[in-house]
Amino acid sequence: MMIALPVHDANSAPASRPRLPERAGIGLRSQHYQQVLDANPAVGFFEVHAENYLVAGGPFHHYLGLIRERYPLSIHGVGLSIGAQQPLDTEHLQRLAVLLERYQPQAFSEHLAWSSHGELFLNDLLPLAYDSATLERVCEHVDQVQTRLQRQMLLENPATYLEFTGSTMDEAAFIGEVVRRTGCGLLLDVNNAYVSSVNQHWDAQAYLHALPLAAVGEIHLAGFAEDRDAAGARLLIDNHGAPVDEAVWRLYAEVLQLIGATPTLLERDNHIPPLDLLVQEAQRAQRLLDASRPARQQASA
Amino acid sequence: MNSQEDFVAALLDPQRDCPPQLKAWNGSDPAARFAVYRNNVLSSLVDALAVSFPVVQQLVGEEFFRAMAAVHVRQSPPRSRILADYGAGFPGFVEGFPPAASLPYLADVARLEWLRIRAYHAADAAPLASDALAAALVAPETLGALLFQLHPALGLLDSAFAVVSLWAAHQGALAIAGVDPYQAQCALVLRNGLEVEVLGIRPGDARFIQALQQGLTLGRATQQASALDAGFELGACLAHLLRAGAITHLAYDSERPLP
Amino acid sequence: MKNTASQAISAAGLALALGAALAISSAPLTAHAADNEKCFGVAMKGKNDCAAGPGTTCAGTSKVDYQGNAWKFVPQGTCAQTASPTSPSGFGQLEAFKEVKKS
Repeated sequence: MMIALPVHDANSAPASRPRLPERAGIGLRSQHYQQVLDANPAVGFFEVHAENYLVAGGPFHHYLGLIRERYPLSIHGVGLSIGAQQPLDTEHLQRLAVLLERYQPQAFSEHLAWSSHGELFLNDLLPLAYDSATLERVCEHVDQVQTRLQRQMLLENPATYLEFTGSTMDEAAFIGEVVRRTGCGLLLDVNNAYVSSVNQHWDAQAYLHALPLAAVGEIHLAGFAEDRDAAGARLLIDNHGAPVDEAVWRLYAEVLQLIGATPTLLERDNHIPPLDLLVQEAQRAQRLLDASRPARQQASA
Repeated sequence: MNSQEDFVAALLDPQRDCPPQLKAWNGSDPAARFAVYRNNVLSSLVDALAVSFPVVQQLVGEEFFRAMAAVHVRQSPPRSRILADYGAGFPGFVEGFPPAASLPYLADVARLEWLRIRAYHAADAAPLASDALAAALVAPETLGALLFQLHPALGLLDSAFAVVSLWAAHQGALAIAGVDPYQAQCALVLRNGLEVEVLGIRPGDARFIQALQQGLTLGRATQQASALDAGFELGACLAHLLRAGAITHLAYDSERPLP
Repeated sequence: MKNTASQAISAAGLALALGAALAISSAPLTAHAADNEKCFGVAMKGKNDCAAGPGTTCAGTSKVDYQGNAWKFVPQGTCAQTASPTSPSGFGQLEAFKEVKKS
């Protein structure tokens, strides 16, 4: 099942591998296109959701093309449904390949989740049972993606709200195994790690330490909303609609202690504030990055 | 056996029980936690429709719109992973939705908004070179056999209702109190550079453009437009199309004899 | 080719109209006309997000659906402000309403 990829071929020069800068970036929103071009905000990179750009033409491509000329880019997929109990949609994968060819992003990432079933697209990142059947399937799909795209992909740890009785391994071990078997990188979403830890009553630090941290190629930070479950326990909702929580900032600082400066995205999908506020939040991450030791030479071995 | 099938069925149907084999660390009812996923699916897709159909939402109010959109989402969830494609079936759904029957124009307003979405994301195409039409004028006897290829973003709506005025009133362009929804209007939607424009056009203009879209010659299209609408002005109509970059190629119809 | 209506559109007529179209379309718009034609629409947004919605208590679990008499909403938006069918629409033809991106 393992497929040798150029990206983790021992003979390939690490310097030739496209990498995001070890700086703070923000999500690119259509409402900010013109302002980004006018003001050239001091961010390290922009990230876009792949599916928003799988349209034929028009302003989205126009602006992304102009902004790509000035900034490094991360393309973040939200619709590939890597965890689905059905084959990957090869047409969708083909569309992604065309998009990546066009914009040459420094990173491509997707989620450890599923979002499609049959013909239907549910538009949410749905949870997986962590068992051997799921592991085989996810690894097969990650292999398929990396082979088709001819690059390493980063897999993002999910925010979850419940667990499956049938899970036979914990999430960090599951992710570690996917990384080991496929050579993919980890997109470490620190907010997701915190949200899931609260929701599943895990020790967030222990969870982080159990992840394959050497494979982290990018970090996500975001805000959450707070709710309660049926027993009144805290239930955090990964709504990307608020500033990053202080608890998440503390975890982020700990992660940087462990792995050094790593490209970091401030995610905001709901209640989009003015560009200046997003840039300010990114600057807070940038200060932590500046204070941390230089990046590792290599994301994974 | 496919557990995701149960999960999906329960996501879309609030009457169904939460799927089996789910648990919470504290032994609490997993249904409350499953509700987060149910809510994400429905609210994110209703949000997507609200973004695509803002004037429909303003016309009926947010509460009515979200309830109506939720019915559509559950009946017809997306079949594309690209949400820019989601909503093509919404105008037809609105048309047949009994609680909205008191607003017979609502479906056509939705159709107009959908044309705008399509226009926004349509393929790029360079406008006709400025001298191409002038070159064609050199041989006036061949003009009747000219074929026009139109921009892929271009869309037409021939409505029994005042769709353009209703839409424009929600952009602050005119007072809604002055709009009689029951006056027939034709709308032309096109993308001029990066901007999507909505234009109210004469019935003759609409027939003319439709005929060109169908691949009819300039002569035939003009004929049809004039027959329908005595006030049709070919020069003014073409000038608008040219100014908006809506004509992309010229060709001659080789299969028909020149007039 | 049949006669009647087709005869009415002569080559000369077409040439005249095309010439006029070229002249009109290449003339610069006056500032006044350009202002009049523009108004602000809602900027299009990307709709594929990876965020969760507002929580557990909203639409997802609501059992409100259209099942005949279960429907309890009535349209309560701007539709109530439209004019009666007899009043003039007050809207001229061939006016453009452009979407203008807000930045």
